[in-house]
Amino acid sequence: MIRDYVKWDDRPVSLQGFSESAVRAYKIATTPPMMPVALVADHELQEYAVADGANLSVPKLTMTSPPVGDSGAVAEVARLLVAAENPVLVTDRVARTPAGLAGLIELAETLQAPVLDRNGRMNFPTRHPLNHTERGSAAIANADVIVGLELTDFWSTVNAVQGQVNPVVRSTVKPGTKLVSITANDLYIKSNYQDFQRYAAVDLAIAADAEATLPSLIDAVKRQITDDRKHTFADRGAKLAAAHTQAMKAGREAAASGWDASPISTARMSSEIWAQIKDEDWSLVSNCQFVSRWPLRLWDFNKHYHYIGAEGGYGVGYGAPAAVGAALANRKHGRLTVSIQNDGDLMFAPGVLWTAAHHRIPLLIVMHNNRAYHQELMQVQIMADRHNRGITNASIGSVLVDPAIDYSKLAQGMGLHAEGPISDPKDLAPAIRRAIAVVKGGDPALVDVLTQPR
Amino acid sequence: MRSLGVVALVFALTLGSQRATAQAPAAKSGDAGTSGVANGKRAFATAGCVACHGRQGEGTASGIQIAPPPLELPALINYVREPTGKMPPFGSGAVSDQQLSDIYAFLKSVAPPPSAGESLTGNGDNGKKLFLAYGCFECHGRQGAGASTGPRIGPPAISFAAVLRYVRAPSGQMPPYTTKVVSDQELADIYTYLKSLPPPSPAADIPLLNQ
Repeated sequence: MIRDYVKWDDRPVSLQGFSESAVRAYKIATTPPMMPVALVADHELQEYAVADGANLSVPKLTMTSPPVGDSGAVAEVARLLVAAENPVLVTDRVARTPAGLAGLIELAETLQAPVLDRNGRMNFPTRHPLNHTERGSAAIANADVIVGLELTDFWSTVNAVQGQVNPVVRSTVKPGTKLVSITANDLYIKSNYQDFQRYAAVDLAIAADAEATLPSLIDAVKRQITDDRKHTFADRGAKLAAAHTQAMKAGREAAASGWDASPISTARMSSEIWAQIKDEDWSLVSNCQFVSRWPLRLWDFNKHYHYIGAEGGYGVGYGAPAAVGAALANRKHGRLTVSIQNDGDLMFAPGVLWTAAHHRIPLLIVMHNNRAYHQELMQVQIMADRHNRGITNASIGSVLVDPAIDYSKLAQGMGLHAEGPISDPKDLAPAIRRAIAVVKGGDPALVDVLTQPR
Repeated sequence: MRSLGVVALVFALTLGSQRATAQAPAAKSGDAGTSGVANGKRAFATAGCVACHGRQGEGTASGIQIAPPPLELPALINYVREPTGKMPPFGSGAVSDQQLSDIYAFLKSVAPPPSAGESLTGNGDNGKKLFLAYGCFECHGRQGAGASTGPRIGPPAISFAAVLRYVRAPSGQMPPYTTKVVSDQELADIYTYLKSLPPPSPAADIPLLNQ
């Protein structure tokens, strides 16, 4: 039943078999591309006594080295990058460890190349002058070489779909732009929910783990850089830094829109949280996609644990359990763990709040409570429009009202400190401060905020 | 991670991606004079704008109608340099400010006559009700402040005529709204409501946005 969801599964029938399968399972799960595995231990295996004199052992665990890009292909990527006038690095699920973050910074700075981060993981500092995520379409349109690093959706990086009724696909890159992919996903594609996205016709595909390939790619780039190119790179870097500053400023201006609105804007909510945590050792353990990416646009993300990344597959209901799991991982490090929790997502597994309270897992949960899922609405409106039904009923099945859900009471019932719903932005800061005091005491806390849709 | 895409609304002034051929002859005139219009017509073609917006700026499946221009000239130049939608950026090396000024004059000269709906007067109170009832807020925010799903439209930066054209035939991810579901009068009401909203304060005046 679960075979489609895991990388490998087994049902060992003996204790020795279980021992070997467990070691194998760990190796398979932690070799890029990392994925879940499943072992089934039936009740006989669990409950039967171990026979006297049974010769059982746990085999030696030798970790498999991650797949690294072929040296010839890596040299070719380096040649393309060094020769390019406008190279672009597009990242998604690159940095598995702190070394991935450091490697990506070194590569970008060596080339003075912009990084567009799809934020599947915490890959690149948000305030680095080479982070050009916020002006991605401009960078892509201007690129002559684009290197996707563990990029889940390369196709939509270089193509755009316009129009809803009769969609038209157009390329977003210049003719002749070289496309390079480095991803371990080329080694293993299996999915029952199509998260591998559309097929991308790239010029060079390297089936390898991007983080493990970064050191050899950086070395190859450095070997090929001439003094002339260094000057070119420096000039490019200065222009990119100015464009980054401009993009950040534009982001702040956009955040100011609806600043005092009620329901509270997601930009205001994100800024109020940042004001309270920026001097702490913090960790954001929720996807920012549904709050218009405001934390990624306004906060200073620069450590590998600052952001959990995205779940992949667009699954609803993942957010709350993932946040509690990440908070548990952060607990021993004493980090202030924060989750911006979507209201619809919490409806799938609200019991995880009790788990957090029961096990005393410190976690600040700030509800993005827009009282809706707000997901497929446009499509429903399109169809209603096409069939001349009127569009006022399009929200049926998409909103969470009548009755509105009181997440504060829900959390209190599970044993959490909770406040809200808060609809006046002026009330946010004191409520967040009170909740942080609880979290610093070792317990979870929830602040319910009535928000704009996105 | 599935891409949601950003609805570019009326700012999606896709000028095409033919940047390699974007160097147009230097233009002299920035007003609507004959030479400016002629230069603008030439620059509109050589810069590749026609690929998405059509030869007369009438719009295609890839780009919205931009004749008449939906933005004032300074705003249009800013947008062309750093677009926020799916349009590629065009630097001054690809199309100069002077050329954009001439293109602007050309687009004004070829604009079709205004439709009857463009002269309607709106009712802001009814517009506010419709803005919520018709679900506009779901992408643009309850006060039209904008989000990742749709740009800020409160207050709108463009004319009612441009809004009217775009809503009927949008080019981004926004659904088209026909007169069957939203009449011209209702759009005029919504526009009047959005016009009544205050513009945002500068970010520099908000301490929390400077931390």
